[in-house]
Amino acid sequence: MSSNYQAKIDGLENVARHIRRNVWRALHGAGSGHMGGSSSAADILAALYFHHLNLRPDDPDWSDRDRFVLSKGHANAALGATLAQAGYIDDSVLDQFYAYQSSFGMHPDIKMAGVEMSTGGLGHGLSVGIGMALGARMQAKDFRTCVMIGDGELQEGSNWEGAMAAAHLGLSNLTVILDYNKIQQSGHVGQMLDLEPVLDKWAAFGWAVREIDGHNMSAVVEALDALPFAAAAPSLIIAHTIKGKGVSFAEDSFLWHNNAVTDEVYEQALSELGEPS
Amino acid sequence: MTSTTDKAGQPKSETPEWEIKAAKQSRLAFGLAVAELARRDEKVAAISADTIDLFGLRPFLEASPERLIEAGIAEQNAMGIAAGMATTGMRPIICGYAPFITTRSLEQLRNDVAYANQRVVIGAACGGIVLAMAGGTHHAVEDLAIMRNMPNMTVIVPADARQTWHAAMATEQLDGPCYIRLGGKFDEPDVTELDADFRIGRADQLRNGDDITVIACGALVAPAVATSQALAHDGIGVRVLNMHTIKPLDRDAVLAAAVETGAIVTAEEHRVTGGLGGAVAELLATEQPTPMRMIGMPDEFAIVGPTAQVREHYAMGEGAITDACRDLMR
Ligand SMILES: [Mg+2]
Repeated sequence: MSSNYQAKIDGLENVARHIRRNVWRALHGAGSGHMGGSSSAADILAALYFHHLNLRPDDPDWSDRDRFVLSKGHANAALGATLAQAGYIDDSVLDQFYAYQSSFGMHPDIKMAGVEMSTGGLGHGLSVGIGMALGARMQAKDFRTCVMIGDGELQEGSNWEGAMAAAHLGLSNLTVILDYNKIQQSGHVGQMLDLEPVLDKWAAFGWAVREIDGHNMSAVVEALDALPFAAAAPSLIIAHTIKGKGVSFAEDSFLWHNNAVTDEVYEQALSELGEPS
Repeated sequence: MTSTTDKAGQPKSETPEWEIKAAKQSRLAFGLAVAELARRDEKVAAISADTIDLFGLRPFLEASPERLIEAGIAEQNAMGIAAGMATTGMRPIICGYAPFITTRSLEQLRNDVAYANQRVVIGAACGGIVLAMAGGTHHAVEDLAIMRNMPNMTVIVPADARQTWHAAMATEQLDGPCYIRLGGKFDEPDVTELDADFRIGRADQLRNGDDITVIACGALVAPAVATSQALAHDGIGVRVLNMHTIKPLDRDAVLAAAVETGAIVTAEEHRVTGGLGGAVAELLATEQPTPMRMIGMPDEFAIVGPTAQVREHYAMGEGAITDACRDLMR
């Protein structure tokens, strides 16, 4: 492992730490929010925006940019934190979460720089991503489309329409990342409506699938670097993650899917996440 | 293609006039327009939900297979695909069945298309009770109420196949989503001229009259004209407005009719709540309270039967329009 590579991984981990801290900051400002699914996605978002995606934050409408759709829109605090970190939006926007007339609400709004689609109703992002991937193909453009979906979200049937279509259309320029934190609003996914065997299901639908530890930055980077996993099929990364990752009392608990953030909670969260460099 | 334009500066149509005139069915005229729009603009693409032949798109598919996406019988996915495609600068046109492309994919339509304000054109064949024999699952008599409640959405109900051609071509100029309700697999009477000037949001005054006004859309325009012709023999001047655009409503035409004729009958193949009649009533209630009668479906699911008979069953035709006019004139 070269020292350059290790420095890159360390840098991305530091970005993820910034994102997590800013998630808690935004939620603290708003009084509450979805820390669980925002924190589970943070490492992947760091790798996407600071390593993988071909973007120009100073020109957010650049037509050849790679597209990212946050289908699990309730993790918008993490997306906003990432967009601020990347320079799409001013850092001060993070203090406007849920605020009157804010562009930064609970769910992504396409009117905000860097946001590719308004999401929040679950099970929409994959179809939208297919449309983007087809838009690239039809206009002979090289941009890639990446969609992050939640595990509970996969219970929506529209995903399976999309899974069937993307494979049928051979969209190798489309990647789905499943943020598999095993928990949804009211409990554990496996107990509420189990997805398993989720890898086999997507593979049977015609997707090229890899499983990774979504908090191991090297694994995340290696998976993204290996895209597309097949020449004529869409790719799925099943990222095993921990809901609320990084803050002990929020980890692996459906109570912290969406919860209140008091001053005490906020201070405790920041101290556990540690200072970024 | 060559850069020839017509006298209005619009690109000249490569679709022969006889072909548009021969269409006779709005779903087929819409399909012809899809192919013409795609010839004019390489960003235009069709999305089918197993509706290629319903829209007469097979010649287009054979000529330009890369420009037609077959989404299969999966309207939610089709609608999301259209929205995503539109964000990349494409001009997707969804070709669906009115009962399914509205309610089956409603959340995608609301969030991904209307809320995100994407340039998606939705062609909805078999609107109203065109498929009356198929039962309530296949009727679309609430689609206008639903679409009219979508911010950013333009809602059009062409009166015939010719007007469908013009309406579809006019979507080139729109910056947001548009819903166009179409007919089914039987001929629709021509009530407009092929060279008639069409503008989204501007009603056509098909008959002059100062005693009462019938504001109709779609399949009820021809009966409204017939009513006007019949009552002219009794010396009653019935103005007929073809309100092909339900949203944005032609407020000026409605208010002028209210002021100048003093009584309004609306006629639509739709429930009387929330569609054309609702739109007119909402405007008049606040701006110019005017006696009204509303022709359309009651608050129930329609019976099964041949479309013409089911239309008669619910009094959606010339007789009911004429009776409503006489009732208001008393
Ligand atoms: Mg989850």
